[in-house]
Amino acid sequence: MAKGKLNNQVRRLRFENGEMTQQKLADATGVTRQTIIAIESGKYAPSLPLAFRIARTFGVGVEEVFEYEGEE
Amino acid sequence: MNRTQKSAIFCLVTFLFCVVVMAYPFISIFILKSWPESFFSRSWSMIAYFVFIAASIIFLRKKQSPAEPDFDERDDLIKKRAVLVSFVSVWILLAAACIIPRFILGETGAIPVYVLPFINLGIFMIATLVHSVAILVQYGWGGKDGKG
Repeated sequence: MAKGKLNNQVRRLRFENGEMTQQKLADATGVTRQTIIAIESGKYAPSLPLAFRIARTFGVGVEEVFEYEGEE
Repeated sequence: MNRTQKSAIFCLVTFLFCVVVMAYPFISIFILKSWPESFFSRSWSMIAYFVFIAASIIFLRKKQSPAEPDFDERDDLIKKRAVLVSFVSVWILLAAACIIPRFILGETGAIPVYVLPFINLGIFMIATLVHSVAILVQYGWGGKDGKG
């Protein structure tokens, strides 16, 4: 099975969106703050619906938030 | 801390409390060979019990923010893994409960019938403990998360 890494720009986008707190992002996306922390630190790969909700909160496309780094 | 973490801590504390409370009559009956004094007949013990329950309810119900969900997809995943670990621990403990008495008592040894419910109860209590610990370990004991 091919293994890849999911990089994300959540932290940067939070700060670019008026220094949004993790709690505010969590409330906007319907998850707990711990889940946002885990996503930011790369410990947890979110489901597609959650990835889209995060991207929509920032008003960008999902590929601007998450980037898959793996074998082609 | 979210609700899943808090529930796991509550289970862990309750388990440890039960172990301490149960250890007293167990030591009295089986080691000191005397009937224990009733723990719950004392007024302070009932007050301590209600204070513990009230504090636990406040602790469990308090949210990080009003919009915080009770659980999300990551909590679900963590709980599923914890159930799996707990299930595996039940099988390991059952196997140990079958093998260890044979080594201690030998091929023809015997154990009293009342020990069997204790073994079963003990296995499921330990499985509950494993479930709580598995949840806390997956969350990094609740202290390693960053702040932002």
